[in-house]
Amino acid sequence: MPYLVRKGVLFVVTLWAAITLNFILPRLMPGSPEDAALGKLASAGVPITNAERHAVEIQLGVPHTNVFTQYWDYLKNIVQFKFGHSYSFPSETVAHTIGKALPWTLVLVGATTVFAFVVGTLLGVFAGWRRGRASDTTVTLGATFFAAFPPFWLGLLLLYFLAYKNGWFPIKGGYAEGATPNWSPSFLADAFKHSVLPALTLAVTTLSGWVFGMRNNMINILGEDYVTFAEANGLRTRTVALLYAARNALLPNVTAFGLSLGAVVGGSVLVEGVFSYPGLGNLLYIAVTNHDFPLMQALFLVITVSMLVAIFVVDLLYARLDPRVRRA
Amino acid sequence: MTTKTALLGAAVATLVATGVAACGSSSNGGGGGAKGGGTLTIQGDAGNPTLVENFNPFVAATELHGGYLMYEPLEFRSPIDGTFTPFLATGHKFTDPKTLDFTIRQNVKWSDGTPFTPADVVFTFNLIKKYPALDGNGVWAEISSVATSGNDVTVTFKAPNVPFAGIVAKTPIVPEHLWSSVPDPAKFTNTKPVGTGPFTLDKFAPTQYSLKKNPAYWQAAKIAPSEVVFPAQSSNQATNQLDVSSGKFDWSYNFLPNVQKTYVSRSKNNVYWFPPGGVITLYLNLTKAPYDDANFRKGISLALDRTTIAQKAVNGYLDGASQSGLILPNLKKWLDPSLPDQGVVKQDPTAAQAAFTQAGYTMQGGKLVKDGKQASMSIVMPNNFTDWVAAAKEVSSQLGQAGIKVSLDLPQFPQYQSSIQSGTFDAAIGGFGGTGDPYTDFNNALNSSFAAPVKTPTANNFERFKDSTVDQALATLAAATDPEAQQQATHTLEQVMYKQVPAVLMYYGGSWGLFSTKNFTGWPSAANPYTLPTNYDGSLLLVVTRLTKA
Repeated sequence: MPYLVRKGVLFVVTLWAAITLNFILPRLMPGSPEDAALGKLASAGVPITNAERHAVEIQLGVPHTNVFTQYWDYLKNIVQFKFGHSYSFPSETVAHTIGKALPWTLVLVGATTVFAFVVGTLLGVFAGWRRGRASDTTVTLGATFFAAFPPFWLGLLLLYFLAYKNGWFPIKGGYAEGATPNWSPSFLADAFKHSVLPALTLAVTTLSGWVFGMRNNMINILGEDYVTFAEANGLRTRTVALLYAARNALLPNVTAFGLSLGAVVGGSVLVEGVFSYPGLGNLLYIAVTNHDFPLMQALFLVITVSMLVAIFVVDLLYARLDPRVRRA
Repeated sequence: MTTKTALLGAAVATLVATGVAACGSSSNGGGGGAKGGGTLTIQGDAGNPTLVENFNPFVAATELHGGYLMYEPLEFRSPIDGTFTPFLATGHKFTDPKTLDFTIRQNVKWSDGTPFTPADVVFTFNLIKKYPALDGNGVWAEISSVATSGNDVTVTFKAPNVPFAGIVAKTPIVPEHLWSSVPDPAKFTNTKPVGTGPFTLDKFAPTQYSLKKNPAYWQAAKIAPSEVVFPAQSSNQATNQLDVSSGKFDWSYNFLPNVQKTYVSRSKNNVYWFPPGGVITLYLNLTKAPYDDANFRKGISLALDRTTIAQKAVNGYLDGASQSGLILPNLKKWLDPSLPDQGVVKQDPTAAQAAFTQAGYTMQGGKLVKDGKQASMSIVMPNNFTDWVAAAKEVSSQLGQAGIKVSLDLPQFPQYQSSIQSGTFDAAIGGFGGTGDPYTDFNNALNSSFAAPVKTPTANNFERFKDSTVDQALATLAAATDPEAQQQATHTLEQVMYKQVPAVLMYYGGSWGLFSTKNFTGWPSAANPYTLPTNYDGSLLLVVTRLTKA
């Protein structure tokens, strides 16, 4: 199948480009990892002296070989899945650090993405079907209102009112302080309690996108002749709305959904930051602020690869869903 | 990202302030920290996002604060006034300016029961000599050997350096019988810490660890808490502020805006102490004109209204700084009485103008001009140090009135650090002093030997000041064991600081101690200023050994 081959080759080339950019970009950031490590000490009030700087340089073991050797080593290590030790957590491998954070993000951001997609799409169908009426206006206005909230700001508001003022929810973290992650029901209940506010923040702010997309597609499709034909045939309203209109209107949203699933792994830097959630977004923020090249590279790699895989899968799925694509 | 964090901080500050104000005396958000009275809860290390268990006391990057309660130093020098508190040594004396004798405490045991001996001290010093990565304080740059003689440990210096005793003394001492078999101590992940300190590791979890009292501690009777708990901090400042304000901790270290409303009014036990911990300073690049002209620098110093700058930067918690180079009142015993107003420079536009005229500048239509060009400067500072940025904005507007065109350069910290170290900046905001010892403060900032050529990085004396009088006074001070000679040399340095303005000292940077007297009392305070309220360095050990049960 030439379509598949074409997409496959494109996938490999994009992957190489992404991996290479991933190597170059962190090194273009001004300042060195040593300076970043010193910055952490300085902001803690430690006076920075030449002696401190010297010790930090040795501790980090930042490579001083030329860039091409570094690039070659980097490619070799990726093929072997070796990401080395991070500068921020020298006693752990990068893979281990990421492994600890990954499940938190997958569950939190993954679940809220699916939830937002399902609820948002249904609301969009509803609003599109009842276009121009009071219920449409309510849904559309509501979605516009919440879409205008920056997620971190909504997060802070929730944090302030529900966690700080009322104490209904914990202020920070993914689980109670002092607990060690395990599968016991009490730990899971505790983790759930910690996830409510960040999940709510993410769901509310991402919902609107799905509502708008679906509503507009619906309105477009509802103008098509075959919908009028179905209505004229006297089919039940629900059948026309769901099977004739919504099914076709869904296509573009499926693409977008695939992409947002790919983006799940990147977490949500700001929301995870506000709630100090132990996920990948928070980790990414820390890696960038510390100039932690090994950790940054591994994280960006995980993020870009999952994004590329998602795009690839969507491409394949699309060919199944819409036969016209295969011939294009 | 960092600007966003700063924004968040500002936002939450407003929220907390207005929210609390609106509710008046709202109920105390009591997430009770210490149940049973014996638990001391200290806001701990920044979890990134979780903590990694490693109590290696020599690696600053992975340091966990609890380590300070397990590994003791020989002595701890107060960063306020330089007073020594003995721990594993009972005291020290210089037999001559190059020879320092510590008398080692007897009948001390490691937490595994092995006796502690002077040999452990010598082993520790030789360890950080063998592995320079462990020597973050540069001890071996100054000393040449460490040896035992009976119950004493003798440290020999390469050159006289009496004030360096404080740095030598604060080295954490580790047990030879365990560390001698560690293959590479710089990469050593220490999960079973054995120290001589008042506490031992109890439980470690990714977001919190706890220590329990060491019953065999040599001054166990003085230790009030039976347990110390360190919950991890968030990497988000706004979240931390809410956490602190909700009253979870016995001791936390955080800048809170409007501390009366956001902290003190929330419980009758809440107290704070924000003493000066350093001087926030406008550094000028002395390798560039016109900043190499002392008259120009004096003009800048006289054009600034330090009180307003402090008001804008640190909510007026602290005041404008003395241009003597001493943090007052901490170091007042060193102050040269001949300095007017304790060395505090008041804003004086006329005098500033006169100084600029001496530097060859004239005022033309509101602009300070020399050879047809307006005086200008670009001030660099890290964009996430919000108090520095606020200060710089105020400086910019005040110098603008004096006719100088000021622009602000706000990179991320690493870029700021590399630009000041390489000497390519015009002006920079930075910290000065704060070690509690005038010699170390002046030496770090002014010693010519650090003034590397431009493009060669140096973290000390990065403004690149060179003056033989200063070097002479520093050398005298380094070798002086006689208090009178120490005073003399310090006064000389203060005079240079005041008259030549190698750096424009602006306001005192705060040390943000927030305490609760509910479970424990004896916290450092204005009435009892025995150390800074920093809970992330040796002060932690000093404070915990002084607490009493409430």
